[in-house]
Amino acid sequence: MNDALLVVVIAQGIAYGTPLLYGALGELLAERSGVLNLGVEGMMLVGAVMGFWAVQRFHATTSVALLAAVGVAALAGAAIAAIHAFLVITLRANQIVSGLAITIFAGIAGLSSYLGNDLDLATSPARHQFQEVFPSSWQDLPVVGPIIFGQSILVYASWVCVVLVGLYLSRTRLGLNVRAVGDSPAAADAMGLNVSAYRYAHTLVGGAFAGVAGATFSLSITPQWIAGLTAGAGWIAIALVVFSFWRPTLCLVGAYLFGAFSYLPFALQARDYSWAPPPELSQSLPYLMTIVALVLVSSRAARLRFGAPAALGRPYVREER
Amino acid sequence: MIRIERRLEQPRWLTVVVPVVSIAFAFLLATLVLLATHHPPLHTFARLFQAAFIDNGALTETLVSATPLAFTGLCAAVAFRMNLFNIGGEGQLYAGAITGAAVALLVGGAPSPVVIVAMILAGAAGGALLAAIPGVLRAFFSTSEIITSLMLNYVVALIIDYLIFGSHSYLRDSSGFQASVFPQGKTLPDSATWPSWTIHGLVIPLGALVAVAVAAAVWFLYARTRFGFEVQVIGDSARAGRYAGMRTRRKIVAVMCLSGAIAGLGGASQDGDFRHQLDPRGLIQANYGYAGIVVAALARYNPFAVLLVAFLLGGLQNAGYTLQGADFPNGLVGVLQGLLLFCVLGGELFIRYRVRIERRHATATEPA
Amino acid sequence: MHALLGENGAGKTTLSNILTGLYHPDEGDIRLWGEHVEFHSPRDALEAGVAMVHQHFRLVEPFTVAENIVLGDHRDVGRTFLLHTRAIERRVADLSERYGLAVEPRARIWQLSVGEQQRVEIVKALYKEARILILDEPTAVLTPQESRQLFGTIRAMAEDGRTIIFISHKLHEVKAIADRVTILRRGRTVATLAAAEAQRRSLAALMVGREVELVERRSGPRDLGGTCLELDRLSADGDRGLPAVKDVSLGVRSGEIVAIAGVAGNGQRELAEAVAGIRTPTSGAIHVGGRKLKGGDAREAISAGIAYVPEDRLGTGVAPGLSVADNVVLKSYRRPPASRGPFLVLSKIRELAESLMHRYDVRASGPDVPARQLSGGNLQKVVLAREFSGEPVALVAASPTRGLDVAGIQTVHAYLREAAERGVGVLLISEDLDEIRALADRIAVMYEGAVVGERDGETATVEELGLLMAGGE
Repeated sequence: MNDALLVVVIAQGIAYGTPLLYGALGELLAERSGVLNLGVEGMMLVGAVMGFWAVQRFHATTSVALLAAVGVAALAGAAIAAIHAFLVITLRANQIVSGLAITIFAGIAGLSSYLGNDLDLATSPARHQFQEVFPSSWQDLPVVGPIIFGQSILVYASWVCVVLVGLYLSRTRLGLNVRAVGDSPAAADAMGLNVSAYRYAHTLVGGAFAGVAGATFSLSITPQWIAGLTAGAGWIAIALVVFSFWRPTLCLVGAYLFGAFSYLPFALQARDYSWAPPPELSQSLPYLMTIVALVLVSSRAARLRFGAPAALGRPYVREER
Repeated sequence: MIRIERRLEQPRWLTVVVPVVSIAFAFLLATLVLLATHHPPLHTFARLFQAAFIDNGALTETLVSATPLAFTGLCAAVAFRMNLFNIGGEGQLYAGAITGAAVALLVGGAPSPVVIVAMILAGAAGGALLAAIPGVLRAFFSTSEIITSLMLNYVVALIIDYLIFGSHSYLRDSSGFQASVFPQGKTLPDSATWPSWTIHGLVIPLGALVAVAVAAAVWFLYARTRFGFEVQVIGDSARAGRYAGMRTRRKIVAVMCLSGAIAGLGGASQDGDFRHQLDPRGLIQANYGYAGIVVAALARYNPFAVLLVAFLLGGLQNAGYTLQGADFPNGLVGVLQGLLLFCVLGGELFIRYRVRIERRHATATEPA
Repeated sequence: MHALLGENGAGKTTLSNILTGLYHPDEGDIRLWGEHVEFHSPRDALEAGVAMVHQHFRLVEPFTVAENIVLGDHRDVGRTFLLHTRAIERRVADLSERYGLAVEPRARIWQLSVGEQQRVEIVKALYKEARILILDEPTAVLTPQESRQLFGTIRAMAEDGRTIIFISHKLHEVKAIADRVTILRRGRTVATLAAAEAQRRSLAALMVGREVELVERRSGPRDLGGTCLELDRLSADGDRGLPAVKDVSLGVRSGEIVAIAGVAGNGQRELAEAVAGIRTPTSGAIHVGGRKLKGGDAREAISAGIAYVPEDRLGTGVAPGLSVADNVVLKSYRRPPASRGPFLVLSKIRELAESLMHRYDVRASGPDVPARQLSGGNLQKVVLAREFSGEPVALVAASPTRGLDVAGIQTVHAYLREAAERGVGVLLISEDLDEIRALADRIAVMYEGAVVGERDGETATVEELGLLMAGGE
């Protein structure tokens, strides 16, 4: 029963979708404050390499080392995001170009590889990695076993994050303020909110989420350091934010859907189905689906109902309305 | 108290001084990165510079790296000038490489000039067709071209993988035992090898000359024609373009196709000038498309400046390949490119704005 | 109640932005109730009790009224970490009842009319317990009747012990409401006097710096030609996809100035855009010089002879980053002499720009200056120069004098009159009844997308026009 294709694909889809979910939640926070950060891929890779480094260097019990690694990855992601924040918020640079610069600076041919090489991480497997939390008897339960109980703590933590981010944005005073800053910075400013501070904070937190997403790769999915191991997940995370109309719960659904599709070819290959389509086809489905979803979302009706934060991508300058 | 104010007039000297200072600052930051990781900065830079421009044959290799960057840089510049953020140069280059190689194999028996012209046309068409997808979606459904063009990069990368590794396609070499163990593209016929010229040991490939011609054509198109005028107006303010009766949608599709065609040309040049087969791994690892965006942004979207920046960054990239090894920091090239872009981007503020620093006073503030 | 009077560009808004902490003063100091204060941000100002209702409202459109009011607050119900929506809504309802400012706390801002949005802004200030309330040109978006209602609210607030600073460039409003008037000119205080003693004419002279004719009405009947622009049951949708223009039929004869009056947002902009071909009509027809347009095609409208001065000067009327020369040929670049075949003739473009800049007295250091660097008045001259150089059959001018100083307004008025005298049919869209009464031969009033009445330009009174603008026949 638990070997059924559907169960395996859903369970693995959740595992593979988790870094997408972290990345998308982070990007969602940044975008809600009005900052578009196209550097997610770069921040993820730096998070991945630094998280991996922490696990190799901290001599502690597994849980402490992993916790420290996630913390280091989050800090690393936030540090890279700080560059973007400084450029686009303080120096008013073009958000698109700056985000691409982040990806090139930190990405596969940049800082993440530099660090991976310099810290000599490429040769060894992870000393600690995230494992399933629940006892194997739970994991053997039909259907829910692998899907619900067969996951690592990172998956459960991401569920908590989805709920927290959702409540934060819709139910708290700070969340209200962020939405105001992202939608109408002039109104927020006139009401005494510090637009720059809100944008800095959410861009940095967004970077931290991306860093954790990277650590999910290097400490759970892969789990080792390979240059460029995220393979475009950062870009999918950005697309997911649009795909989910800037709503955390829909991010979760989208992330798992994409995760399932990227796992599907492996599942089919392992089973030796004679009718299996070429793996490239199912691997390209998430990208094609993103394009279709974007087209659907950009229809007028959808934009009016769920529209992007109105000030997304625009620097706020008090003197130039 | 720091205040940032828009300049009413932009002195000319600023447009020279600010980029120079920005670049110097980028190298200063790179120095800090190197020092922090225990690499000798001056020595490292010297080696980079030598490997890029001085060593025997270095310039030839630099041109090999610079040629595709010039194409992808022009691809980005053409689109970004109209505020169309085509970041699909990467995939459009692959597409051009696929169609270029396919045509070379198809008409390989014809005389060489015919094959070469056919490859150029096919490469441009391949890139243009791919770029037309985000273009049409943007023009008619207002779908952001940023994400769609980017997603297509991954799709085309998978297609190119499929053609060589996942299938027995026309483009795959299926002769002999070795080809079945290590799949690779069919070697293109000799007639599909693009000519090159050697001057004092410097080998200039045809592709580099094509890139120069494209840059000149792009400059002329944008500065001297009605089409270019419309692109500039729409790029500056799409509403003003509609107000003046310009066909904005058509122009979006046209510019995206033009942009894609230039990247596709770069793909054909990869086939004809350098690789002589459809080479998925090599193309995908090179990341020409993304680096092209850096080139365009550093050149501030000016086509001639794109050529210059492509040459310099090509040198950097070439040095990166040459020096790859245990004692040379891997990834330094990307770090340097990123830092250069950060500093030039940040520096633009000082051209457009004036920064004044004032002290806070308890009572009256003196004018700064 | 203190009025701040000055023409556009005199520094009224800048001054009040300093008072609310948005801008920082270069020198000098602010004293509040005799005490020196220094505002580093709007928050400081709000805490000191200074609030402002901006000309362009500072409201978050997708938010509810209550959310907007509590935004950025950190006292009482706004202090808690979680939002207590119910409690906030109750507070807002109480407050709006107390001052007779009807607002529905749960309505979303984008669903409200401009007048209602203004009430939200005022409730917001009251909620913040503002002791000094600055209103920046509050009547610009209201009908005369709504303005009178607003004045009532302002008086009630003043009787409550609040100080009101009322920014305006309209003399009769200042006379009607203020206790004292301060006049600004080019950033300087020219005079402060008691409103009751001031004469309108002397106030105007102080404001502009010289004697001005207040309202000059064009005199004498002129020969009108045949109908050059005719709208036949024209309808069009607005940006939100809802009908914005409903069954408008209107004719403009050569040499005639027909004005469309109405409160902003009643479909005037959409009507102008439909005529200019920027917006596709949903039904109805547009005839220009006897020729029927297929509609929704700006190029067709331009070649049929429709000139259009858009409301949004910088961004639609001109491309701000391009040079003055480029903007001068924005519409004529397709034809010789500006281009030959697909190629531009740069020397001819420059010549054309220089001659038009000279003829229309555009003050700029040269034709290569980016349009963004021009003042509002000079920018409007560039737009007018370009539109008239196309030898139009009909001219649609949407709020052509908004934001201009008195000299600029007079220039624009002169050009519009001159155009009419040359036989161009002018469709003037304006919210300023003084302007309309000074220029128009005929006045049509729009309300909620439809023309609700037409009056003769000579005899129409502000009273009846105001009533029509409010939708009452």
